Amino acid sequence: MNIVVGVSDMKVSNTPGDTITTYSLGSCIGLAVFDPVAKAGGMLHYMLPESKLDREKAAARPFMFADTGIPRLFKSVYRLDALKKRMEVSVFGGAQILDQNGFFNIGKRNHMALKKIFFKNKVLITHEDVGGNVNRTIRLDISTGSIFVKTSGSREVKI
Amino acid sequence: MISLQELIKEIKNLEPVPAVVNQLLASADDPHCSMTTISDIVQYDPAITANLIRTCNSAYFGLSNPVESVRDAVSLLGMDQIVELVLLNNSRKALSKKQKGYGLDKGAMWRYSVSSALIARGISQKTDAENHNTLFTAALLKDIGKTVLDRFVTNAFDKITHLVKDEGYSFSEAEKQLIGIDHAELGAMIVKIWKFSPTMVKIIRHHHLSDENLRNDRDIATVYLADCICMMMGIGVGADGLAYRFHGDVLQNLNINSDDLSHIIADFTFNMKKFETLLQLV
Repeated sequence: MNIVVGVSDMKVSNTPGDTITTYSLGSCIGLAVFDPVAKAGGMLHYMLPESKLDREKAAARPFMFADTGIPRLFKSVYRLDALKKRMEVSVFGGAQILDQNGFFNIGKRNHMALKKIFFKNKVLITHEDVGGNVNRTIRLDISTGSIFVKTSGSREVKI
Repeated sequence: MISLQELIKEIKNLEPVPAVVNQLLASADDPHCSMTTISDIVQYDPAITANLIRTCNSAYFGLSNPVESVRDAVSLLGMDQIVELVLLNNSRKALSKKQKGYGLDKGAMWRYSVSSALIARGISQKTDAENHNTLFTAALLKDIGKTVLDRFVTNAFDKITHLVKDEGYSFSEAEKQLIGIDHAELGAMIVKIWKFSPTMVKIIRHHHLSDENLRNDRDIATVYLADCICMMMGIGVGADGLAYRFHGDVLQNLNINSDDLSHIIADFTFNMKKFETLLQLV
């Protein structure tokens, strides 16, 4: 089954044959995790770095923000017997419009928020493809843990 | 390079947004306009009236008594909502086709256009813009030029990609360089031929803010920002990616800071389900 992760959304699976896809990441971040032993993985598509912007919205839609979404993704795959030490962690998105600098650079801020959380929790990134001026569509194959990326104007490639 | 004659021929092949829309817009942003004026404009067009009443009676609005006339619709839903529905009903066809050169599947540009329009409305509310109906419409129609330019972009795609990836051009700059016109200029030509107001023509012409002298224009800035937000959210982003220029000073002129920007994104996402229903509806 192809499971679609919408904007501000998260999905996990340990069913062989499932694929988890998120479409068209602009400045948002798509975070894919996979445990090759438990054969369990998941994907998060968040839009903004910090939930302190609007606590009410964060409570209703925790996957909108890095700091409320990322811990939930990890906890959800742990429930499928995945272990942190075995986890393959891949990060995509965080793109920016040309010349988009400083505080208005939401793509960069989204990426920084993730790095801060990972540093604090000692999570290592296995693969990263962030920044630039392209949008990205990401697909995770639960049978193998393979990840496929399609960027604007190009063909899908396996990483 | 395309000749002017060739472009005008292409534009004439488009199904135009009906003239009643212009009349409606001219009245709706006039602070003295009454609901009766709006009803009078709409009710003389039977196709628009039928569409409007059907939409108003859908489950989306949850009205307890069915609407039977345009006058009922205007008084129940308010002027702005009626203007929006008429606009959406009448521009879907023109904006829904697949755009091969821009890498947009069927319906993707429509989704993008409606998102831009709704985000422009959100910004107008924040900045207290009086002409919010004009801004909504400009954001909705700003990329109409892509529907004509698409064929030419398809033919020149490899060269455009080279200029963007290797030479630091924005996508619009590459269009202009290789085809002789960019989609914003062409969009302005189209709405001018369709007899939209000079303000609308100007906003569409400059919605990527390529002219530095117009950075203080709040109307253009609003539509420009709505477009940038859509790109950041990955909505309607095709082969052109996010390869357009960002001008932070424009946001400062609108008194919008980075938190405001995040709030606009959060609000739009929060109401995404409502937006999806609206897309199905019109």
